[in-house]
Amino acid sequence: MVHRISSSKMRWWVAVEIIDDILKAGSRSADEVEVYFAEGQSASAELKRDTVSRSIESRYFSLSIRTIAGGKIGSSSTSNPAEWQKCLDAALASGRLATGQAWGGLPGPQVLKGPDLSYDPAVRPGAAAVKGMLEAMVEGAMRHPVQVTSGGATISTGTVTIANSHGTRYSRDQSLVSASVEAIRENSTGYEFEISCSADFDPASIGDRAGFLAASSANGTGISSGAYDIVLSPLAAAQLISAVIVPALSGRNVHAGRSRLAGLAGTAVAAPAISVYDDPFLPGKPGSTRWDAEGTPTRKIPFITDGILGEFAYDLKTAYRYGTAGTGSAVRSGSGGMPSIGHHNLVIAGPECALMDEPAIFIQDVVGAHTANALSGDFSVELTNPFRVKDGTFEAPVRKAMLSGNVFLLLESITGLGRDRRTIGSLVLPSIRLKDQHIIGG
Amino acid sequence: MSGARYYDIRHVQGQATVIDIDNGVVESAASSFSDHAVIRALTRQGWGVLTVDNFQEPGRHDIASLVRRAASIASICNEEISLSPPVRGRHEVPALHEDPRDVSLDEKAQILLELERSARIPGISNTRINYIERFEKVRFSDSTGYEDEFGICRSGFGVLAVAARNGTLQMGYERRHTIRGLNIRHRQDLARQAAERAVLLLDARPARGGTMRVVLDPELAGVFAHEAVGHASEADLVQEGNSVLAGKIGDRIGNDVVTIVDDPSLHEFGFEPFDAEGSATSRTEIIRQGVLANYLHSRETLAAVGNGQAGHARAAAGEIPLVRMSNTFIEAGESTREEILEECGQGILLKGSRGGQVDPGRGVFQFNAEYGYLIENGECTTMVRDVSLSGEILKTLFSIRLCGNEVRMHQGYCGKGGQSVPVSDGAPHILLEDAVVGGSGDH
Repeated sequence: MVHRISSSKMRWWVAVEIIDDILKAGSRSADEVEVYFAEGQSASAELKRDTVSRSIESRYFSLSIRTIAGGKIGSSSTSNPAEWQKCLDAALASGRLATGQAWGGLPGPQVLKGPDLSYDPAVRPGAAAVKGMLEAMVEGAMRHPVQVTSGGATISTGTVTIANSHGTRYSRDQSLVSASVEAIRENSTGYEFEISCSADFDPASIGDRAGFLAASSANGTGISSGAYDIVLSPLAAAQLISAVIVPALSGRNVHAGRSRLAGLAGTAVAAPAISVYDDPFLPGKPGSTRWDAEGTPTRKIPFITDGILGEFAYDLKTAYRYGTAGTGSAVRSGSGGMPSIGHHNLVIAGPECALMDEPAIFIQDVVGAHTANALSGDFSVELTNPFRVKDGTFEAPVRKAMLSGNVFLLLESITGLGRDRRTIGSLVLPSIRLKDQHIIGG
Repeated sequence: MSGARYYDIRHVQGQATVIDIDNGVVESAASSFSDHAVIRALTRQGWGVLTVDNFQEPGRHDIASLVRRAASIASICNEEISLSPPVRGRHEVPALHEDPRDVSLDEKAQILLELERSARIPGISNTRINYIERFEKVRFSDSTGYEDEFGICRSGFGVLAVAARNGTLQMGYERRHTIRGLNIRHRQDLARQAAERAVLLLDARPARGGTMRVVLDPELAGVFAHEAVGHASEADLVQEGNSVLAGKIGDRIGNDVVTIVDDPSLHEFGFEPFDAEGSATSRTEIIRQGVLANYLHSRETLAAVGNGQAGHARAAAGEIPLVRMSNTFIEAGESTREEILEECGQGILLKGSRGGQVDPGRGVFQFNAEYGYLIENGECTTMVRDVSLSGEILKTLFSIRLCGNEVRMHQGYCGKGGQSVPVSDGAPHILLEDAVVGGSGDH
C-alpha cells in the first residue's frame, strides 16, 4: 500500500496504518520489529537586540524502525513516512551486518496508567504567544542598565508513539515551552532561560535575571590564583555533571571500561548526604515518561544514595548482553535518533541550606564544560558571571578566572546544597557549595 | 507574492550511514533518510520562516501557499530588513577519489574492524570506532527566479582508545573527515597513535595552571583562531551588539604576524559550493597583518553592518541560515617549529583539541588541549594532560609572537544557535606570550 503524505500535518490514522503495515511487513523477515513515530509542530520567534526579527513555524515527522533477527539488531529512520518500505529494507540490511548478541526480546504490552507527564493541553503553538514571551523578557531585562542582544522563545507540541510486534503500543502527547535571553553591559554578558512543559514561568523574570547578571558583572576585579570555597549555580553544576557524571552512569560505558565508576558499586563516591537518582515521574518535567524509548516501563533509579554508588542505567541491548535487567533508561535524541542509554530527570538531592552566608566565589556558568575529560573527570573551564559572595549577598564581581579540578572529586567535596532547585534540561538540581577548589586568576 | 518582498527555499535531501564498532562488536551499521525544507519570506516587518519535513517538491501553487503562510507569521516581527544585492556563482564539488556508495556496508565494516584492532595494544582496555558518511542534495531557489543545486558527500571516522591502570582511565582520539571520498583505508597508523597516546597519558601529570609562554600545535591553533576570533567576527553577533569586535574595523587588534582567514570555497571539510542564501562563496580575510579587516556576512548582515562580503550563511538541513565559519585558518609565517620552541625557552607545548567555547560579547574564550609537554630550554620534556587555555579576544592576538611556516587543517563540527555544521580549522604552530593556562597540577 502506498500512502500519499503531504507536507501538512499527518493525520493520526494514517500514522496508525503505516505502523501496522511496517510491523506486518517487518515480521516476515525478522523475529521482532519496533516502530517509533514522532510528529509535532512548533512556533518560535527570535529577538535581534530588543526587536522581534524572525518568526518561525515548524512541522516535523520522524519514523524509526528497528528489526531484531537472531540477536542482530538493525535500524533505520526517515523523515518521510511514505518511504517506510525503504526504511524497513535499510533496517533489515543493517541487522544482517550487526554482531549478534544475547537477546531476550522487546518488551510486551503492560498497562501503564496515568496521564501524560510531560504534556499540558493548554499549550498551543502560536506566533502571538511567543511574541508576548519575547516582549516580556525584554521588559524584564530593561529593568537594568543593559542592552538585550538576542533571545528566543518556542512553544511546541507533539506526539510520540512506540509499537512493536509483541503488541506493545504506547503513545503520549508532549508539550514544551522555552525562552532565553542574553543581555550585555559594556563587555559583561548575562544569559538566562527557562524550559517547561507548561507556560508556568514568568518570561519577565528571565529577562530580569539576565539583565541583573550583565549589569552586576561589569567592572569586576581580578582574583589571585588559589584555593577558594565556591558555589556552583544549578546551571554551572549541570554543565559539569552532564559532561562527566552522566556518561559514567551508563551501563554500557561501565562494561566497556569507559567509566571511572565501574567496580565502585557499594562504595562512597559522593559526600555522605548526597543522592543522585533518575525520577521519570516528576509531573511537568520535559524528561518525564512512563515508558522509555524502547517501550520498557520506566522506574526510579537510585544511582547514588547518601553518597553510596548503587546501580547503573541500562537499555535492553546492554542489559541482555551483560545478563542484567533493563532499567527503562533508553532515550532518543534528535529527529530519527535510535535508542541509547540516558536518563529522564536526573535529580541531585540532599539536605538543603543557605549556601552563601560564608564567603565564597559564586559561579553562574562556565565556558567550555564540554571540553572536560569524560573518562578521568579532569576539567579546567573559564568562569561566567563569577561573584564574591558573603552574608547571603553578591559583594563584587570577579573579572576573569578559570576553575580547574575533577568532576568526580567535586561530588565528594560537596559541603551543601542550596534551596534553589531548578530544572536544567533533563537535570533537576540546586546550587552546590564546594570547599577548597582551585581557581586560576587571569 | 502575498506581502513577501523576497522569498527563498532551501531543500535538503539526505542519506546518512553510520557504523559504530565498540570493542570488536558491530553495534550498529545503519542508513537513515531525511528530507527537510526551509521557506523564508521577507516582509516589511521581518522574516517569516517555515520549516517542513518531507517537502516533496511542491508545485507553483503550493509554493505560493507556503510563502503566504511564511509571510503571514512575519506579522509579529517589527524589523525592517534590507538584503545586500545578490552575488551569484558556484564552485564545483571536487570529485570523489573513491565513492563510499560503491563500497558495501559489509566491506566498510571489515575495514573499520581492522582499523579498530590496530588500536588494541598492551595497556588499552577499550577501543571504539565511529564512521559516518552523509550524502546531501541541496536545492536552492528564490523569488528572483534564481535556482541552483549541488550534491556533496561528507564522510570520515573517529577512533578512540582507552587506557586503564589501577582505576585510572585516559584516552587517545584521532579523527579524519573529508569531502573527497572514502578515507578509511590504510589508516592503522592513526589508530595506533591514538592508542599509544592513551597509554602515555596514564603517566602524564596534570599541568600547573598560571600565566606562561605557550606553543600551540596546528590543530589547537586552528581551534584558537576559530574560538578567539572567528565567532566574534560573525556579523550577526556584531549586529546584535554581542561581539567585542563591533566597531573595530581598521583597528589593530594583534601583531602583524597574524592574518586570519575564513574561506568556504576551499575544498576542505567546511566547503560550500554556494552558501545557504545562494550567494557565491569566497575567501574573507578577517584579520590582515594584525588589523581587523572584515566581518563574515549573510546578505542581511552585509546590508546592515558592512565591511566584508556575503557568502558565509550556512545552515544544517532543515534549519535557518546563520552567519557561520567554514574553513578558518591562521596564515603561515616564516618560523620553523624548532625556532618556535627555541624562542619559547620555558613554557608549555599544547597539542590536540577537545574543543572550545567563546562568549563573544564578553570577549572571553576557552579551549582544551588533549595533552602537552613542558618546554624547558627550548626542548619538550615532561608530558602533561588536561590543559586548557583561556584568553580575551582583544588582547590575545597581541600575544602571538611567532607563526610557523606550515599550515595544517583539521576537521570538526561547530555549534551555534542549536545547529551543528561541518568546519575545518587550521594554523601553523604559534607561540603565545603570557597565556592563561588552566590546570590543577603542581608542574
